[in-house]
Amino acid sequence: MFENIKWLISPELSRECEEKEIVVSTRIRVARNIEGIPFELKMKTKDAEKLVQMVKSALEMNFKGKFLDLQKLKPLEKESLLESHLISPAIVKKELPTATFISEEGNISIMVNEEDHLRIQGLSCGLNLSNIASKVYEFEEILGQELGYAYNENYGFITSCPTNLGTGLRASVLLHLPGLVYTNEIEKILKSTFNLGMAVRGLYGEGSEIKGNLFQISNQHTLGFKEDELIEKITKFTKMLIDLELKARDVILNRARYELEDKIFRSLGILTSARLINSDEVLSLLSAIRLGIGLGLIKDIDIITLNEIMLVTRPGNIQLYYGEILEEQERDIRRADYIRHKLAKRNPASD
Amino acid sequence: MLCDNCKKNPATFFYKDVSGEQIKEVHLCEECARKKGIISDKKLSPHEILQKLLKSVEKEDGQIVCPICLLTLSEFKKFGRFGCANCLKVFEPYIKTLIREVQNSEKHIGKKAKPGGRRIVEIFRLKEELRRALEKEAYEDAAKIRDQLKTMGVENV
Repeated sequence: MFENIKWLISPELSRECEEKEIVVSTRIRVARNIEGIPFELKMKTKDAEKLVQMVKSALEMNFKGKFLDLQKLKPLEKESLLESHLISPAIVKKELPTATFISEEGNISIMVNEEDHLRIQGLSCGLNLSNIASKVYEFEEILGQELGYAYNENYGFITSCPTNLGTGLRASVLLHLPGLVYTNEIEKILKSTFNLGMAVRGLYGEGSEIKGNLFQISNQHTLGFKEDELIEKITKFTKMLIDLELKARDVILNRARYELEDKIFRSLGILTSARLINSDEVLSLLSAIRLGIGLGLIKDIDIITLNEIMLVTRPGNIQLYYGEILEEQERDIRRADYIRHKLAKRNPASD
Repeated sequence: MLCDNCKKNPATFFYKDVSGEQIKEVHLCEECARKKGIISDKKLSPHEILQKLLKSVEKEDGQIVCPICLLTLSEFKKFGRFGCANCLKVFEPYIKTLIREVQNSEKHIGKKAKPGGRRIVEIFRLKEELRRALEKEAYEDAAKIRDQLKTMGVENV
């Protein structure tokens, strides 16, 4: 039924990596446009088709991976790519021909005809900005040689929107900060984040809701900085937030240890027993489990399993996982099933 | 109603001044209110700054046109997007401040674009030429183009 994409989980996202309990994932995206082709606002269908073909050839001649024509994908497949952060909400809404390339390792995706001609992005688990950036720039350089980027001496790489001019670089980290949420310090911190020139968003980027104590931090400005400086800035700030989060957790443990333990183990109880569960409830329960792992209270579940559950239980992914279209209640049943079995593997007696 | 202070811009900010002996109704434009420190500068995101600055429309905006994609400055201000790579050069004198405000900078210091052969662009140009040559039944030209394409690594044409 879903012949275009089998199950998509980037191995990079489940590999061992630094600070992976608090930093869920790291993302780098670089916006580029091709000289001589109109931008989104003035693009005609034939320009868009030509660009898709050109990028496809450039990638096929240099890299291994899958090139997906988004027009040919089923809505569910697009939803799943979206939930796996491989495409953006904006590209799904577009009427012009669009495509996305996913590298063999699954950690690089290149969107064609989003707001810019190319959005080259790299994903990784944990705090890993400079590593993933160097992979993104391998693709960026080759594509630049093959296609030729729109560039201006003063303003750098020319983007469709002035907010991306210069480096076209957005570096972001997805942080799990339950300690700062429970101690009510988060508001203050988010404000200072903003004043330091960084943006805070929810799980699925711009305009998305904050769920499961997950916060996405990224640079606001793209001009007037070197790429390394932007990456360094986010990395440093993330390390500071990790420190603050750890301190907040100590405070909670000192003041309300039993309440916290109770919350964590009740959450585990629900996840291992529920017969019906929706995806947002999963996110909030997983947050408690993640915290439990971080505090050393839960020892028989690892973060990799947790990341996998988080991705597979999203509404689109769960359907793709089972290979069929499921109504809402059916999804809730299958989701609960999936989680029970996933968590049962750690201890066969518990199911 | 015009601003009490500059008497030029429309007043959008009204308040009662109670500092003197008499209570006085004051009407200011946003710019003057900001200068007097009456409205504090809440930090805006680059997107919000952009949206705000795009609202300052000038009469001649419709006449400033990018010759490549035909986007006018007023269309740029409507959508907040460039139409092609050339727009930036054409609109630069009018949007310098906008870029500085949005980005907090006016100079790129990051990686530069490396000049490359643009092999793919050239291949696509040649393929188009080949298609036209075949249409005109100019088989000799077509054969030459095919050879060129082969040297560029394109086999099945």
